[in-house]
Amino acid sequence: MRRSFRIPDLGGAEAYILHRPHPTVAAIERQLKVIGIRTIEAWPDLPPAATAADFVFFDADLGHDEQFPWAAGQSPMPLIALIGSEAPGRVEWALSQNADAHLLKPVGNAGVYSALLIARNAFEARKALAAEVADLRQRVGERRSIVRAVGILIARGTSEDRAYDQLRHLAMTWQVSMEDAAARIVSWSEEEDVTQSNRLT
Amino acid sequence: MRQRFEIGILFSRSGGYVLVSDACRAGAMAAIADINADPDFGIELVPVERDPGGSTDRYAPLCEDIFRSSSARHVVGCVTSWSRKEVIPVLEKHGATLWYGCPYEGYEASDHVFYTHACPNQHLVPLLGFAVPRFGARGYLVGSNYIWGWEMNRVARELLRDAGGEALGERCLALGDEDVSRLIQEIEALRPSFVLNNLIGPSSYAFLKAMAELGRIDPAFRPEVCPVLSCNLTECETSRLDGAADGQISAGPYFARPAERLGWPASGTSRSATSFEAATYMSVRMLAEGIRATGRADPDASAFVGRPVASPFGMVEIDPVTRHTALPVIIGRMQGSDVEALDVTSRILPDPYLTRYDRAQTFPRPALKVVMS
Repeated sequence: MRRSFRIPDLGGAEAYILHRPHPTVAAIERQLKVIGIRTIEAWPDLPPAATAADFVFFDADLGHDEQFPWAAGQSPMPLIALIGSEAPGRVEWALSQNADAHLLKPVGNAGVYSALLIARNAFEARKALAAEVADLRQRVGERRSIVRAVGILIARGTSEDRAYDQLRHLAMTWQVSMEDAAARIVSWSEEEDVTQSNRLT
Repeated sequence: MRQRFEIGILFSRSGGYVLVSDACRAGAMAAIADINADPDFGIELVPVERDPGGSTDRYAPLCEDIFRSSSARHVVGCVTSWSRKEVIPVLEKHGATLWYGCPYEGYEASDHVFYTHACPNQHLVPLLGFAVPRFGARGYLVGSNYIWGWEMNRVARELLRDAGGEALGERCLALGDEDVSRLIQEIEALRPSFVLNNLIGPSSYAFLKAMAELGRIDPAFRPEVCPVLSCNLTECETSRLDGAADGQISAGPYFARPAERLGWPASGTSRSATSFEAATYMSVRMLAEGIRATGRADPDASAFVGRPVASPFGMVEIDPVTRHTALPVIIGRMQGSDVEALDVTSRILPDPYLTRYDRAQTFPRPALKVVMS
């Protein structure tokens, strides 16, 4: 995915830094201030209000899952890992949080701005991909409804090809997807069955 | 005897942008001369000078040499962003500071640099804000092939989109390249509302001359119809162009004649000839004040930031957060070595990351007219 950064719209954003008080926090804060981003320090846990933040920087050295008000890897905003120890276990844990970018400690005079842009880009790409996967999964699941709806139409005395055309036509008339049209036919047919069985009793 | 303090001077005395670096150097040297000639000032400055000769790779080693061979911890120098980025690691290593007095493309705020000339919200944004309603929003962008040309053109492209226009084309030339024929052909074919010139040195001079020639052949390219806009063009270059830049438009914190007419303070005994001179003159004055106040060759930032000082730009001050300078903005029309001020804003706070940029404020929409049918 290509994303244009345009004129940066980072001004007025809010970032949490989940790190114990440390010169690294001050260095990040200074860089964020120049960019026009408000900083909130948090340690040892992120408060629930952090869910509304635009960015979260988190310590990869002393971090653990329970510090976050969301399940591991489910952050609603871009995350930037602050890595001191490059031990593979710590890097692995930072990745399990779905860190979108990282900064190596100690943080000096630069690096925050590019980390923000990279993290935002990666986060947006990840979000778009997840939405697409969810959509495709749902469609695959709904293929069953189409098969059943076509079966119902065939049972009413039409050929398979015509049943399929009929379903497509209904979807167009109702202005919904084939899957949704099929789901309606299936649910109506079930209601009919219930009514009929009620009559029989 | 007055106490003597060494300060570094790092400007190229030759190379493609020598007119600009000479102007910068002249401002720094004028300030040193004024301070040293004033027995009441209390200290004397000793310049420790190195000349990178226009070669970017020589800046870092020569800067290092200043710190190794003298007590100087403040350096006034650099013209291109490329050279500034080369010396920053050296400054960090020695806990030293650079005073940088040239316009640049923004997106930097080093703890080891004071930025005393304009960044994009003080040149490019007001320049396009001025030009778009007058000439149109279809721009053609030219630049030198390094960070200044690339980033200025990128920001300009976005600004033009916000203005409801577009960049019709964009071309970059290698530093020093004077073959501008392809640019001119494209401009002639595309007929933009204006051209934004982010070229430097000989490329810029060749381009301005070719545009002047094009305007002579075709009135549609005369400056009053399709101007060339610049953010780095000053009197030190236009005075050498035999009128090739006449009528073209440039944005800067200072031009000599407008500053005189506006009654801004002179630089000591004389008036700075260009904004480059004014910025480096001011840098050395501020530095000297800080050294005098602290009695140290390496005063820290608190000696300089947030203190309004009289300067060739009027009263200015360095912003403690960005370490850039609140500066005036003049939109000027070049005429020989003179400049006519078309628009003056007395003070714009620096915003190197354009975080306070407001599209509606930069490009206000004209009031809608009711169409009666």
